[in-house]
Amino acid sequence: MDILRHLRFFTAVADARHFGDAARDLGMTQPPLSQGVRRLESRLGVRLFDRDARGVRITAIGQSLLPSARELLDRECAFVASASELSVPTQLRLGVVGDLDDLIPTLVAELAGSGQSVAPVVAGSVQLVDLLRDGMLDIAVLRHPGVVDGLAAGEVLVIPTRLDSTIGSSLKDAAPVAVPPRHHQPPAHDQLVDALRRLGHSGRVVEAADAVQRGALTAAGTAVRLVPVPNGAVGDPGSPPLRLRIARPLAAGRRPEVDHEGAAAVLHRVLSRVE
Amino acid sequence: MSSDEWRTDAELREVARSAGVSAWVHAQRLGGPPDAVGLNAFESVAIASLYKLPLALTWADLAEEGELDPCGRMRLPAAGRVGGPTGIALLLDDVEMSQRDVVRQMLAVSDNAAGDAIFATIGRARIDDHLTALGFPSGMVRQGSADETRAMMRDTGSETWLEAQRLLADPDRVTTTSQYDPAYASAATAADLTRLLGMLWLRAGYGHAIIREAMAQQAWRHRIGSGFPHDDVTVFGKTGTLGALRHETAVVQFPHEHPIAIAVLTRSVRPERHQPRVDAAIGELARLAVRPLRMPAA
Repeated sequence: MDILRHLRFFTAVADARHFGDAARDLGMTQPPLSQGVRRLESRLGVRLFDRDARGVRITAIGQSLLPSARELLDRECAFVASASELSVPTQLRLGVVGDLDDLIPTLVAELAGSGQSVAPVVAGSVQLVDLLRDGMLDIAVLRHPGVVDGLAAGEVLVIPTRLDSTIGSSLKDAAPVAVPPRHHQPPAHDQLVDALRRLGHSGRVVEAADAVQRGALTAAGTAVRLVPVPNGAVGDPGSPPLRLRIARPLAAGRRPEVDHEGAAAVLHRVLSRVE
Repeated sequence: MSSDEWRTDAELREVARSAGVSAWVHAQRLGGPPDAVGLNAFESVAIASLYKLPLALTWADLAEEGELDPCGRMRLPAAGRVGGPTGIALLLDDVEMSQRDVVRQMLAVSDNAAGDAIFATIGRARIDDHLTALGFPSGMVRQGSADETRAMMRDTGSETWLEAQRLLADPDRVTTTSQYDPAYASAATAADLTRLLGMLWLRAGYGHAIIREAMAQQAWRHRIGSGFPHDDVTVFGKTGTLGALRHETAVVQFPHEHPIAIAVLTRSVRPERHQPRVDAAIGELARLAVRPLRMPAA
């Protein structure tokens, strides 16, 4: 017998002094409630209620058992509450490269909207790789190319960019490009500088860790930015793209309670929709 | 490790990190009290065209034993020649030259057709037996350039050497080949390579002198040589390049000092074919590793 469930019947009838009202309080119908109380009485070998034409009255034995019944039900409540305090919902620890600029909120929101609880960290790729290797992140969007030894990295995702400039519309004649610091991902940084020179740009860059700072430099007209274009928008032809890879720890290093595949699929979908 | 060794180790790692490469380095002084510097020096790495160096040592040893005639004529037919970027591998017609000239081509310009000809003349089993008897790992010379190129073309689905290079260099795709894997390619550790140079420098044979001379005449100085931009310093080098792999092993000879053997093996995360930054980083890694080993020979 589920004693706690039957004790709820007992206390509900004692409080309502009426089987019909008690059944309504419990969200059930009267017959199963009456049967339940009778089963409890027979299990305990005592009579809890007197029933007559005027209604239902608790017996003296019922009255003396009532406080311990309430106490048991209170303890049940407290037990469930303390368990739920201890259970932290599994959060996906997500790393995102700062190079994604304005696309970061969209990316994180899509992942959060997929029902996944997300704890995001925005940093440079080298730092994110270290965090992944140390087991401090579950998944990260990294800038490519960079060293990913000891991680499982997916295919290269190519994100178009457009020129954000207050001083001209051609990258060839543009001011220095505001970029994240080289040490965030040296090979990717050098690849961009080579691509700028290939286009006829001077290859000069201004390193600024913060996207807001890069925006401010652009607004001031002392630099231009290459911004990854949002979902579906078209980049400037010839503008060097942003290359990314989604990386996870190797299978043995993954937290089993995290849905890595699902998260990777969402990130991949959002980033490859950027056409 | 002494504090100097810690510093060198940290400097080597920083140069590799900044250049975007995984690096394997070993340097040792040939002469004076034994001393060495290393970074991942005992890990096996696919060595690409550096296989031509243990192949050359085998050739010189066998010539010394009278098994080969260094002046013997060799025919390198155009038919069946697998293309490559330099030397006879670039030519359209049959070539005939002496063994010693083929060896010089193989070392001075890393001629793939020359490497294949010497490899075929000696034979895989004899090369492997000779090198393992000298204490080198089996498979240090697993194959010639033609087999290496064919594997690379098969892995990338290409028809030519050039097409395979282009596919491996695509920045928008991660393309790989079995020839990056020491289990499927000619492979050795950085420490194996400097030990090999030590042998080559100790041996007084005719063929060994030919090899040293050809290494001093190597056509390029953009890797280890870039770390020693001094006209009075001789760099006896041999490069190896395959897709993301950029290697060189060399003996660096400062005047009146003990020669120093150095091997710098790298694998780049950038896939592009032309990477002057990585070539320069190889020079910098060599300079950092050689510097603490320099010693007057007096």
